[in-house]
Amino acid sequence: MTTALIFLPVSGALLVWLVPMPRAWVGSTALLVSLAEVALWIAAVAGFGFGSSGLQLEDRASWFSDLHVSYHVGLYGFSLWLVGLTAVVLAASVGYACSAGRDRPRAYYGLMLLLTGAIVGVFAAQDLLLFYAFFEAMLIPLYVLVGVWGGAGRIDATLKFVLYTMAGSLLMLASIIVFGLSQGTFDLVDSGTSGSAWLFLGFAFAFAIKAPLFPFHGWLPDAYRESSPEVAAVLSGVVSKAAAFGFLRIAIAKFPGPTDDFRLPILVLAAIGLVYGSLLAFRAPDMRGVIAYSSLAQMGLITLGLFAANDLGFDGAVLQMVNHGLISGALFLLAGSVERRTATGELSRLGGLARGRPALATVLLTVGVIALAVPLSSAFAGEFLILAGVFRQGWIWAVLGAGSIVLAAMYVLRLISAVLHRGVGRAVPEQTLDLRPAELGILVPLVACLLALSAWPAAVSEHSFAGDRPARDVASGFRAPGEELTAKGALP
Amino acid sequence: MPGPTVTWYLAVSVVLFATGVLGVLLRRSPLIVLLSLEIMLNGANLALIAFSRYQGRGDGQIFALSVMAVAASEVVVGLGLIVALARRKVALDVDKLTTLRG
Amino acid sequence: MITTSAWVCLLSPLVACLAIALAGNRISRRGSGYLATGAVALSFAAAVVAFVGLLGEQPDERSHLSTAWTWLGGGSYHSGLSVLVDPLSVFMMLVVSGVGSLIVAYSLGYMDGDDEERRFFAYMALFVFSMLLLVQGGNLLLLLAGWGMVGLSSYLLIGFNQRRPQAIAAAKKAFVMNAFGDATMVLALFLLVQHTGTLDFAATFERAQGLASNHWVVNLVALGLLGGAVAKSAQLPLQTWLPDAMEGPTPVSALIHAATMVTAGVYLIVRAHPLFELAPTVEDLAAGLGAATILLAGLIALVQTDVKRVIAYSTMSQIGYMFLGAGLGSYANGMFHLLTHAFFKALLFLAAGLVIHALAGEQDMRRMGGLRRLMPRTWLAFLVGALALVGVPPFSGFFSKDSILAAALDHGTYGYVLWAAGLGGALLTGLYTFRMLFLVFGGEPSPFVREHHHAHEGKEGPLSMTATVAVLAVLATVGGWIQLAGVWTPVSDWLFPVAEPLVEATGRQEAISSVLAVGLGLLGAAIAWWIYAARRGRVPRLRAVRTLLERKFYFDEAYDLVFYWPAAAISRAWGSLVEGPLVGGAGAGLGQATRGAGRLTARAQTGLLRSYALAIAASLAVLAVVFISVR
Repeated sequence: MTTALIFLPVSGALLVWLVPMPRAWVGSTALLVSLAEVALWIAAVAGFGFGSSGLQLEDRASWFSDLHVSYHVGLYGFSLWLVGLTAVVLAASVGYACSAGRDRPRAYYGLMLLLTGAIVGVFAAQDLLLFYAFFEAMLIPLYVLVGVWGGAGRIDATLKFVLYTMAGSLLMLASIIVFGLSQGTFDLVDSGTSGSAWLFLGFAFAFAIKAPLFPFHGWLPDAYRESSPEVAAVLSGVVSKAAAFGFLRIAIAKFPGPTDDFRLPILVLAAIGLVYGSLLAFRAPDMRGVIAYSSLAQMGLITLGLFAANDLGFDGAVLQMVNHGLISGALFLLAGSVERRTATGELSRLGGLARGRPALATVLLTVGVIALAVPLSSAFAGEFLILAGVFRQGWIWAVLGAGSIVLAAMYVLRLISAVLHRGVGRAVPEQTLDLRPAELGILVPLVACLLALSAWPAAVSEHSFAGDRPARDVASGFRAPGEELTAKGALP
Repeated sequence: MPGPTVTWYLAVSVVLFATGVLGVLLRRSPLIVLLSLEIMLNGANLALIAFSRYQGRGDGQIFALSVMAVAASEVVVGLGLIVALARRKVALDVDKLTTLRG
Repeated sequence: MITTSAWVCLLSPLVACLAIALAGNRISRRGSGYLATGAVALSFAAAVVAFVGLLGEQPDERSHLSTAWTWLGGGSYHSGLSVLVDPLSVFMMLVVSGVGSLIVAYSLGYMDGDDEERRFFAYMALFVFSMLLLVQGGNLLLLLAGWGMVGLSSYLLIGFNQRRPQAIAAAKKAFVMNAFGDATMVLALFLLVQHTGTLDFAATFERAQGLASNHWVVNLVALGLLGGAVAKSAQLPLQTWLPDAMEGPTPVSALIHAATMVTAGVYLIVRAHPLFELAPTVEDLAAGLGAATILLAGLIALVQTDVKRVIAYSTMSQIGYMFLGAGLGSYANGMFHLLTHAFFKALLFLAAGLVIHALAGEQDMRRMGGLRRLMPRTWLAFLVGALALVGVPPFSGFFSKDSILAAALDHGTYGYVLWAAGLGGALLTGLYTFRMLFLVFGGEPSPFVREHHHAHEGKEGPLSMTATVAVLAVLATVGGWIQLAGVWTPVSDWLFPVAEPLVEATGRQEAISSVLAVGLGLLGAAIAWWIYAARRGRVPRLRAVRTLLERKFYFDEAYDLVFYWPAAAISRAWGSLVEGPLVGGAGAGLGQATRGAGRLTARAQTGLLRSYALAIAASLAVLAVVFISVR
């Protein structure tokens, strides 16, 4: 099942690349494949045992048996939700690309599908080398997608993005090799924990760059501004979650000692990122800038939750990962829709778009309101859990978090009123169209997911960890109780 | 039939190799440098064959043969380059061929 | 039966909102109005059913909790999506849906012809849903959810006129100030979650008793909740958003910024009174803030020129009375005043709306005058509202306000101070209310009125507007008769199982307070008549005081100075000092470093074949030596 989830989009990519078909069909084929991926995920949810613990939907085949490296994939509750997030956001992004039209469609859609497979692989991999392979495989399509189909400053943006990420990845590779050799296996389920601070830092550094956390976000504004909107949606909505997932699955679960030792500095960085991102979002001059910096803030918040190291923090962090993925995905696509109509994202040149365009106004308002975490929204639920969790590490984190709620209100309202309200902006043509049915068909499902989550956030937060006891589940390395380390063989 | 011991062969091989090295280091004509390279290779070949005989196994001789093959192909490339240089009327002096300086 | 009707009450406005939003152009503008009105009326009917159901039960059994599903949970902490039906929530349900349905019906006429009527009614329905969620929510988390949602719908409705920059700014200001209150409330909830592990009302209150010895925690919890209440109810020091919120359409001001949402703070104090009672200092603070707001708002109202802003300041001041009552522990009196205030304040706003409607949107009192002749019925309604507001018997304000003042007398020395403030407020109320009445309706019609007044088909307004105003006028008259302190107390008895009062005024205290309050109110009215109607006196010329009042005690300026400018400056400074170097610099720095390293290594690349050969030979020699010597 998990293997199918990974390789369905990959085979879709091969299909698009290899099978001759009219150009016009390429987009819809890709869309069909990504919708099939969503359907497959729904089937996986239906077959998932939320009550039971341990790895589920597991597939395993030996790869380099000498080193105890295997193709080992499977899902936990929280990875299941992240896979779902990936499937949904990628489907929306492919749909958006179809509606907007892209040059060289074969290459483009093939890469998007390949990216889907790689991200799902990251969430499913249970072997460190396999994880690394998927983690890097994400980078290749992104490199091309940003560098070829991006905006005017795409080359610089791509270069920065790739250099930053590579630097982190190489440290992670070193950590992986040392960890794997010292454990005698690269398998995440079979290996035990480690107390090495250096290995922990190697992983943490890679994830901090990918997320990104302050001050490793140098690549973020350019990459989010220069890539095409759907790629930005994937970058901030899904790819950043791979980093948060890495924190949870590897950095925290495999290095309990160092996690304790480095908790304070990481919480400090996350909190700085939260406040810093919120303040910069407040002064960003364009739509994408606001969304980009709010992503920085949100990743700080999620990290706060993860390093709160208690039930509420972990549950909240997973919930907020799903929320933020959907929210920033929808916001970037909306920004793209606005930019297509007005040829600019600068807030000072926009305005007055609400009048006569009810669909655009309603969708942007709804997503914006959820993004600013108005109570009863799913984002509020996530932030509440995270902050209630991190409150136990010290009241200061929760106070900063609560302060950032106010800041979030300020920057989201600024965005909404600058785009929708006030007088008609200079860049807004008189006959600007409302959202077309095709665009609505992409955005409405995203909004519907968010509203459904708002009605029942516990669907995610209570179904992410075994027995709904996250702290215990993490401490046991996500193993079922009684299940012991199996392969602890030394190297030959 | 008892001939000179292996030491003698090795001595000759060293002399040949050293001659070659000096040639590569001191001469300026690319042609001579190539020639010196050949002398070095042959010095090495001599050592290989000497040891082969000494140990009574064929491996060294086979290896020497493959070295000859490599040397022949190397000369082809090298001479080709020199001819190309000559055709472009570039001075045949390795000290003046410094285009690759960083 | 009871819980079913509670769910119907809660969900019917939400359904209407979604239906209007989804139907888009397929529903007519009128139709959306009827749909919203019908849905809110259905809510009211359901609330009545729940009320009757509770009436049939023993007083101490009147509490039903119905949980649909677990809304949010993590670890051992869970909060359900649940509604609580008890006397307090039913009381609020009746007020919200009752006054709400009247005001939504009024909007049918008021908004007629606006090309975004559908959006308006969808927002109104959303607001009623949010407010009902606030009062019906079965745990503190849902209360907070409703709390935030009313803030949101208030934001949407204040900024309804999207082309007016002032409206947008006012909407944002209201939302951000309320978000500040939400934040302090959230912090209080975190403390509760940490120390009690739950947010269900009953369990939280019970376990909080165990914290009584931990003064820090109980005080901080109460303070956090009070922060939310103060922000939502526009009390000192978070009051500045309410007058600006008058940018919203008049029915919005009547429903949200007079009758229901702004009184939510009082509801919160009464609902969470076990927590407040653990922290008497904070209770006193709440009462003190209420008293201070009574005076401050009353003073500012004296110099306002916008008719709606005068009513807004009077709302602040009246909520000050409710805070005073609730803070003193006289919960039923606070809630009773909430009820009567909802009637007469909605009446005042809607009557003012009739005036504004007839004058094509003009709100400046200096341009009005003499409307008594042109709109006699409106004048009558306004007069009823004014008398009820001032607290003249037998109008409703008299019954509720004076009991609060009497309760203050039962609270020691501090109580006397509060009592005096409340009485001062009564004088101010009489003064500004009748100033407004005389400026708008008294004298001869002004040139502006003569030019712009237009009758609506020979009447003072469309039927939906005049009828609702009439109903509210009746309610504002008789609404107070359901309780007369010391003699006839159904409201206090009804709320007794939920919130037992802490103070009990004697009959003598009641009598003294009533006589003084009514006397001072009438005195204020008389002064207003002397100056504005008879024109025998002059407004005292105290320029400094006047500027101070017109500037609203410089609260806006102070907040800009303390919060906005520093935040903006920090954000700018970070942008240029940190972000620029980090983002631009990181890329450039990386490039520089690579290039420098390249330049260094390039030195070794001489291009001289012989030097390469020498390097190779030398390295070989070194390697040979190493191999030989190490072996």
